[in-house]
Amino acid sequence: MTSFVIAAIAMLVALVPAGVVIVRGSLADAVVGFEFLTSVAVLVFALLAEGFKRPSLFEFPVLLAVLLLGSGLVFVRALERWL
Amino acid sequence: MIREIITDVLLALAVLTVAAAALGVAVMPSAAARLHYVTPVAVVAPVLVLLAVFVTEGLDENTGETLLAVLVMIAAAPFLSHATIRAIRASENSGGNAGDKERA
Repeated sequence: MTSFVIAAIAMLVALVPAGVVIVRGSLADAVVGFEFLTSVAVLVFALLAEGFKRPSLFEFPVLLAVLLLGSGLVFVRALERWL
Repeated sequence: MIREIITDVLLALAVLTVAAAALGVAVMPSAAARLHYVTPVAVVAPVLVLLAVFVTEGLDENTGETLLAVLVMIAAAPFLSHATIRAIRASENSGGNAGDKERA
């Protein structure tokens, strides 16, 4: 197991507090938790792609980074009425 | 050997950044305060991961794709934070949180 995979696992563990915030917090807290979670997911995909030495998997973090902006803005805009 | 040590240090710093930000997201009292802790994860940690990949692989396709992802994240983070805080402020000004009332 390379240090990249270990770092990815450690970052996945760090998602737990954000998950708790999403489940237990207000809607605004949940949106912030979602943004945190998506940002970490990009890093985890990049770390796993490098850790497993699969160059083709490097497209996931790129795609997710682009979707992070789109989904985040759509999510905030759609939920603005209820925030 | 030196490369491995530098990579490990960079990855450890990235994990520490994410862990500290996760703690901040968990303990801060309001959504606006929590939002501050998303920025290190969207800006600082990706640069550290990019440097770790660069040190391991050198200038190649993997580093290029990681750079692309990091650039998109760094460019997107301010827009997303701004949109989120704007929505939260608008909600506070209108005495909001209707969604929570509906959910409850």
